[in-house]
Amino acid sequence: MNSGVAQSPIVSISQVTKDYTLGKVVVPALRGVDLQVHPGEFISIAGPSGSGKTTLLNLIGCVDTATAGVVRVAGQDTKQLSERQLTNLRLHTIGFIFQSFNLVSVLSVFQNVEFPLLLQRKLDKVQRRERVMQLLEQVGLAHHAKHRPNELSGGQRQRVAVARALVTRPQLVLADEPTANLDSVTGQNIIDLMKELNQKEGTTFIFSTHDAKVMNHANAVVRLADGKILDRLTPAEATRAMAAGAEAH
Amino acid sequence: MFQLFLIAFRNLGTHRRRTLLLGGAIAGVTTLLVILMGLSTGMKESMLRSATTLATGHVNVAGFYKVTAGQAAPVVTGYPKIIEQIRQDVPELDYVVQRGRGWAKLVSDTAAMQVGVGGIDVQNEPGFRRVVMVKEGSLDALSRPGTLLIFEKQAKKLGVKVGDTLTIVAPTMRGTSNTVDVTVGAIAANVGMMSDFNVFLHAATLRSLYQLRDDTTGAILVYLKDLSQVPHVQARLRQSLEKAGHILMDNDPRAFWFKFEVVNREGWTGQKLDITNWEDEISFISWTLTALNSLTGVLIFVLLVIIGVGIMNTLWIAIRERTREIGTLRAIGMQRRRVLLMFLFEAMTLGALGTLAGATVGLGVCLGVNAANVTMPDVVAVFIMSDKLNLAVNAGSVIGAMVFITGCTTLISLIPSFLAARLKPVTAMHHIG
Repeated sequence: MNSGVAQSPIVSISQVTKDYTLGKVVVPALRGVDLQVHPGEFISIAGPSGSGKTTLLNLIGCVDTATAGVVRVAGQDTKQLSERQLTNLRLHTIGFIFQSFNLVSVLSVFQNVEFPLLLQRKLDKVQRRERVMQLLEQVGLAHHAKHRPNELSGGQRQRVAVARALVTRPQLVLADEPTANLDSVTGQNIIDLMKELNQKEGTTFIFSTHDAKVMNHANAVVRLADGKILDRLTPAEATRAMAAGAEAH
Repeated sequence: MFQLFLIAFRNLGTHRRRTLLLGGAIAGVTTLLVILMGLSTGMKESMLRSATTLATGHVNVAGFYKVTAGQAAPVVTGYPKIIEQIRQDVPELDYVVQRGRGWAKLVSDTAAMQVGVGGIDVQNEPGFRRVVMVKEGSLDALSRPGTLLIFEKQAKKLGVKVGDTLTIVAPTMRGTSNTVDVTVGAIAANVGMMSDFNVFLHAATLRSLYQLRDDTTGAILVYLKDLSQVPHVQARLRQSLEKAGHILMDNDPRAFWFKFEVVNREGWTGQKLDITNWEDEISFISWTLTALNSLTGVLIFVLLVIIGVGIMNTLWIAIRERTREIGTLRAIGMQRRRVLLMFLFEAMTLGALGTLAGATVGLGVCLGVNAANVTMPDVVAVFIMSDKLNLAVNAGSVIGAMVFITGCTTLISLIPSFLAARLKPVTAMHHIG
């Protein structure tokens, strides 16, 4: 689903660095990263732990700011935006899926999914209900709408998180290791669900993983190591490169 | 907004033990505040009812007459004309009475005591009958000359009962003492401090004791239908009496007997009128109310500080536990203001529920105490102006207490809530613990 490649990128990252200061030590997490993601892409960011995957997603998701360089999301330079504008950009443009689901434990499944719509204040009660139920049906949890997150399995919780990420119909969904806390079958189902929504809705997905099976579903795999982008490959190429790397090691 | 309330409410429910402990503390303070307010209001009511009937009117027209510069008598000459003028000038008037004033020694066969003597025309005293509860004898007996009303405590001290004779010895301005023998016509129930130093004598007998003319009295007591009109009526009477040619003393908000020294030092002679209100006349005992209110204030302040620390601590823990949740909510697009509101709602909900429970318990205690008709020891009765404990509660002050404490708990939670709202989403999301 690369029909949008000719369009202007939804994410454009240019010469981005990100340093963390731990006491007197400055730890570089990203070192001069360049990346462009176009609407409708289903991109995997792969790399070993500590390679900078989460930092890169944080910068794209506007929850953190770069030390240097330019991060553009939906055409907007995130460095130029105020805290309030960044929050609005996240609310209206980006959906998040977290490794550990991050649902609000005291709200029901329905209320968790509805929450971003309440923050947006665009839809009335009936429209919200319709939208939420439609998504819950898509993720197969319509009959669990009244349950609390602690009454669901890991896979079900992640599906709720997927529904919450998509309920505002964002242009971009970021998923940080969405299958890391799930067994392989459930993880596979979640990736299938994301892929299905990508194809049906045209939503851009960027997800991080270090699981070769998961990255096989992507249109492209961006490989990161030591805070630098090594290359941008097809899943098959990425798998071969990773296998070769493992052998050489 | 509803969702924020829901999150706050359910979070309180999730951490039940913490909520119960803190909510219980808030409820306890509210209960205490409601009871103390009930005591204060009850005292004020008793004080107002007793004092304004036994010792003062709502507004008083009294004064001093001086034969020579250094000899002041607390009398008003030509009082019938003044009463007539009051009736014309004060449409807010309920009723007006005149009372003689004296200071004398009461002597029985076995004991003696100094008392203030009120000369009373009991047939024209509707309020007096409502407040004074006669234990022995009859109030109507006071309509006979030479008859005296005393209180239980005094009867016990003097060792007398109804029908016994007492001698009243009163010093006069000429330096001699006049005496009169009187019969105890009625013994009334004690009314706190007021019954320690007041007795009531037939008005004409008091006049004859001091050898005063018939148109002379100690004070004119003006009772109004609405107590809030006191300042207006007091100001109006000052103007109208001055206009009518009476000479008025400067306003001095103290009881009349505190003014002797000042008046005796002044060089004038003749009659001067003094217009005071009920608060001026009982200012010497209203300190008990001020003391109670101050004590209440200090106690509530200390308890609120303790609760404040508890609430802050609880919110710190809640924020620490929910840091990842805050990060998630900020990440999915919740503005800082809403995070702030979410935690404020939590403190406010806890405060509202705690104060509601506390106010209910407090009201129950007040109603229970009133129903039990608790008799207080003498030492307490002196200060609360009644031998029965009366906890008067009104809806306005209970709601006020609830709003105040809820407001305090919400305000206290502002700091941790503000800091929660300031958390960077990325920091919050990756918080461990």
